[in-house]
Amino acid sequence: MFSMDTQTPYVFKVKFPSDLDYVSPVRKFVAETLAVNKFSPKFAYRSEVIVDEICHNAIIHGSRTVDATVEIECKVFSDRFEFQVNDQGGKRDDIERLKHAMKKSDARLADASQEKESRGLGLEIVRLLSEEIKMEVGEDNMTTVRVVRKREDA
Amino acid sequence: MPDLKIQRKPLDLRPDLTMWKIEGPLDAESIGYIHREFDSVLESKQNFLVAEMSGVTQVSSAAIGQLMGCRQLLVERGGDLVITGVSLDIKSKLSAMGATKIFKFYNELRTAVNAYHWEVERKSEMVWMSFPPELQFVPPVRQMVSRIARQKGYTNRDSFRIETIVDEVCNNAVEHGSERLKKNIDLNIKIDREKIELEVINASDPDKIDALRALSTSMPKTPDAKLGQKRGRGLALIKMLSNKLDINFSGDGTSVHVTKLREE
Amino acid sequence: MESQIELEYEDIKGHADTKMVRFVGDLDATNVETVLEKICNLFNDGFINIIADFKKLRYVNSTGLGILLHFSKSAKEKNGSFKIANVNENVYEIIEIIGATTLLEIYDEVDEAIAALK
Repeated sequence: MFSMDTQTPYVFKVKFPSDLDYVSPVRKFVAETLAVNKFSPKFAYRSEVIVDEICHNAIIHGSRTVDATVEIECKVFSDRFEFQVNDQGGKRDDIERLKHAMKKSDARLADASQEKESRGLGLEIVRLLSEEIKMEVGEDNMTTVRVVRKREDA
Repeated sequence: MPDLKIQRKPLDLRPDLTMWKIEGPLDAESIGYIHREFDSVLESKQNFLVAEMSGVTQVSSAAIGQLMGCRQLLVERGGDLVITGVSLDIKSKLSAMGATKIFKFYNELRTAVNAYHWEVERKSEMVWMSFPPELQFVPPVRQMVSRIARQKGYTNRDSFRIETIVDEVCNNAVEHGSERLKKNIDLNIKIDREKIELEVINASDPDKIDALRALSTSMPKTPDAKLGQKRGRGLALIKMLSNKLDINFSGDGTSVHVTKLREE
Repeated sequence: MESQIELEYEDIKGHADTKMVRFVGDLDATNVETVLEKICNLFNDGFINIIADFKKLRYVNSTGLGILLHFSKSAKEKNGSFKIANVNENVYEIIEIIGATTLLEIYDEVDEAIAALK
């Protein structure tokens, strides 16, 4: 019925309440969908981690109002996986911090982690596991984080 | 060392709910202060109090005991006192005092408010999904819904039944979907403490609609009816596992609505 | 509610102040609080050395890593240790990315971790 190649992807979306309860089912859904579309277990696992961290960030810093939601839209091509996470607008400070974290050099955060617990570690993981990551801020500070990952054997 | 400071204010997210922003040392000397502040909470008829403790530098068992007493009074009135924002060090100390067995802890205010919606106000939550009409997508989809149910406190048995229902409805949607339109299947999930409602919408070609309508009206009463019968078993299974099943046909598609009550 | 994680405990012969804890499942933002409480209870009960068997720990994220670093720090403050063994490849990669391999005591096997106890 459908086909998937380098131009026409399978597209799937999930919009869910801005609540950490939903992150685990959503990240596993994405990983399992990649696995059934013949991406390697390692690729699926790494994608699961990236989705987890970005959704977590969107919930904590982005979609903060009552009844807020987070949306993830995924495109599975034969040679790559692209996805974007949309939140509903966070605080200006948090957005600036996110922008800064995306541009960071390879300096590891672990030394600081003992004092700061896990703060900042998530984005470091995302940056190092993604080939391409972009962030766009739209109206009302609504933020979209886009990630592209190439299939290892493509 | 600076003195303890308790600032009472409405929650930004829900101004009708009250928050205590607690900063400084929660030591034995703070008992009187906590008592006075709590009296003013009771006077304002607030039954749900969020104690935001990211600024707490020290905890004593006497002060925590005082907070436990406050919580008990709120619980008796149908409310609660919950805690957010504690650092790992303070949490370790609270754990040693047995406070983690009494209070509910949330990472942040937002999660505490969500829990209030879910537990006290019994509000429902919505998840919207859209996926290609291909069979390989159904297992991840059905497992996600099952995991959401478990995450929201449904039993393993309920979650398994929900997974089976999603599987059958989605397989039908794939099988009977439109080959011409190539439209994704939509799955909308509404979940609360009492029930989960599923709506699966798929596009169908007009020539298939009549056949589907006939199939749905002649569905067998039990899933195992007649070995030779190829079709309708999935719908019968859904009917057995759920509490309500509605199928609607329109000119360009089908929508299936299933309600499954939560078993305790 | 939380993601599924189970902690299974085992005593270690000849080491009364040590507990082995098997982590089974996923360690993430929804269950770090529970894990924190359980491990802190062990510290409070006098088990200053914890050997964490990660053979069946499928998943860890940054929040989970944050709490592992906290356990390591807490154990050291009590003159004890938080040792990790049997880390699977995926989980190890996340620890490595964060640069935490030098901050956590990681062993290939549980026996090696036991042998390294003071």
